[in-house]
Amino acid sequence: MAQSGKGRLNYRCPSCFMRDLDIDMFYDKDKKEFYCIRCQYTGTEEDVLEKNEMIRFRYRDMHKRYAMEDFEKFD
Amino acid sequence: MDKFIVNIIHRPEMVPEYAEKVTGHGKAEDISRKALLTESLDIFKTQQECAHKNGLKTTIQMTYASLFNEEAIALAKEHHEKYGDEIALTLLGLPCEQFRKKYKTKDFCIWMFSMEDKKSIVDDVFGKFYETFGFYPQSTGSYYMDAELINYIKEKYPSVVCAVATCWEEGPKAYHTCNNSWYTFMDGGPWAPWIPSKVNTHAPAKDGSEDSGIVAIPHLSRDLIACYDGNGSNFGTHPQNVLRGMSYDSKTWDYPYLYNLIDQYRYQAKFNNGYAYNMMFVGPGWMNKMGRWEAPYELLLKSYEDGCAYYGKLKKEGALCDMTMAEFAAYYREKKTYTEPECALWRDILYGSDKQLFWYCDPFMRACVNMDQGGAIVDLRPYAAKLEWPVGIGTEHIVDASYPFLIQEKYRAGYFTHYAGEGTIRSAKVCHGGEEVDLALCRTKAHFSKEGNDRILTLDPVDIEFADLTVKLQTVITFTEGSSNIKIERKVLEMSDESAEVTINEYMVGCYGTTEYTEDMSSLTLRLSGSENKELKYEYKCREESLAGAQSVSCSLPPIKTKVTLTCEGSEKCGYFKEGYAFSPMFTIGYTGKLEKGEVFKTWLSLERED
Repeated sequence: MAQSGKGRLNYRCPSCFMRDLDIDMFYDKDKKEFYCIRCQYTGTEEDVLEKNEMIRFRYRDMHKRYAMEDFEKFD
Repeated sequence: MDKFIVNIIHRPEMVPEYAEKVTGHGKAEDISRKALLTESLDIFKTQQECAHKNGLKTTIQMTYASLFNEEAIALAKEHHEKYGDEIALTLLGLPCEQFRKKYKTKDFCIWMFSMEDKKSIVDDVFGKFYETFGFYPQSTGSYYMDAELINYIKEKYPSVVCAVATCWEEGPKAYHTCNNSWYTFMDGGPWAPWIPSKVNTHAPAKDGSEDSGIVAIPHLSRDLIACYDGNGSNFGTHPQNVLRGMSYDSKTWDYPYLYNLIDQYRYQAKFNNGYAYNMMFVGPGWMNKMGRWEAPYELLLKSYEDGCAYYGKLKKEGALCDMTMAEFAAYYREKKTYTEPECALWRDILYGSDKQLFWYCDPFMRACVNMDQGGAIVDLRPYAAKLEWPVGIGTEHIVDASYPFLIQEKYRAGYFTHYAGEGTIRSAKVCHGGEEVDLALCRTKAHFSKEGNDRILTLDPVDIEFADLTVKLQTVITFTEGSSNIKIERKVLEMSDESAEVTINEYMVGCYGTTEYTEDMSSLTLRLSGSENKELKYEYKCREESLAGAQSVSCSLPPIKTKVTLTCEGSEKCGYFKEGYAFSPMFTIGYTGKLEKGEVFKTWLSLERED
């Protein structure tokens, strides 16, 4: 079958996400891979999930819970 | 006691913005599909349940499509009776069979229609609402409400007292994030509630004569540092924004960032006479049963439940007051004066950078001070001009509803430029012995205080090291309520050689526009006034002029009916201006002078309308 579909959960392209672009990827059933229609990224679901973890490198305080008294406290 | 208020808004959107594109992939478009309608209503019911079980009241913003749905109408009536929810009317969610048949268009953003269509749609939607409920709504809204639209609604339906009227910093960044397909350009507005002027929605009214008659609230409460650079829809008090931005733990499904964001808004009461505000408004499309943004429905639902639970917890602790939109409008009118500014001292709570910004908004300006750049002003919107800016089909600005900037460090560079030229910024350089240090590279932090009508930012002093001299310099920035100016004082606290002096160069690099791309600067005029007057028409010729003892230096920008002026008090002051050139289409106005230990160099940046 030539036509691609959206695949499970509408995965976005992790490479484009890194440059603040939200683009849902399409799924090629024959190749069993997601691919970005804009950039050159292709990858399996496993690879997408791995790259999505990598994306989070910039959120260094993602796990931190601030108290009210912390908002003007700087180390 | 501080008051932290939340408006929780739900809309029964029978054709959610994302749902048809997402769930309908591979099917020909059909906005009347039964499955779509059923799912949309189910999501609305779930959202209402999440709020009510946490003891929170909501504002139900009926969409035009939902006014044709008996079940949605019955639910609104029931929840109004049982929970005190306000039944309001949104101008979002227009698409439905009835709308498309009548208007024969797929447009759905009310501010983008022609004025004739806006009036007709408003009359249709308000008429249908009246026919359904027997009264006119007190609250309405969209992602943006232009001044002409608000004026029409207020004149024809005076019961309206509150409206969702802008999405903070949703402009070119949102457009880019959506693969250049999301045409909501509305940068440059307030981030917290305000009373819009009759002439331009973004610009708050300065008195009763400018009052549009409504209290405007922003669509969501956005992260004031993350949204300024990144995608707005990743960083707001919209639980699914956190999922879209991937700022959650994918294994544990924890998202402390959401609570930090809410709490940092609570903290703003300290800078706003004990008042702080939040708004949560999640359209049903974001809670799609098919999942969204890599998140399964279970996580979408969990995030919304958790968001409501947190507001509910704060309410139980007495730390939050939930209001309907109309209740909030009444509270706001009572609490705020026209000229009282909105202030936000905001820190990074996600990236671990310790960066700090200060946002200031009043009827004369919106300004952003960046402490990570030594207190430089990195964004400036001249509301003093109250610029007429009609939007929609048939106007000059069909989709561009942004309020123009004079300074915007992301779109027109800030301190850093490539190879040549300058970017927009209001900063200062300290010079000694052939060396020059820009304060934009002296990272610091600020402390807020209020004295009378002044909101004062006192920055921690910075040590500037030259080859043979160290200077401890402090910056104090004062916003005087109703003055339409910003005072900046630079004081030398210490010098390693007490007999030394340094040169200070206070400058503003500016331009105008609403997007990343340059506008034609040919109509600008630069002026120096003092012992003589000097004037230069902008011709991209890289010319400069200066005047010792100048009383003022200014730039007139006819396309945005704005005049920006610098005045100064300081030793050996000398005003100057610089014309830009094609590769650097900016203007610079500034003052140089001398500073010794204990001396202060003061400048005022003033904004006014100039026709």
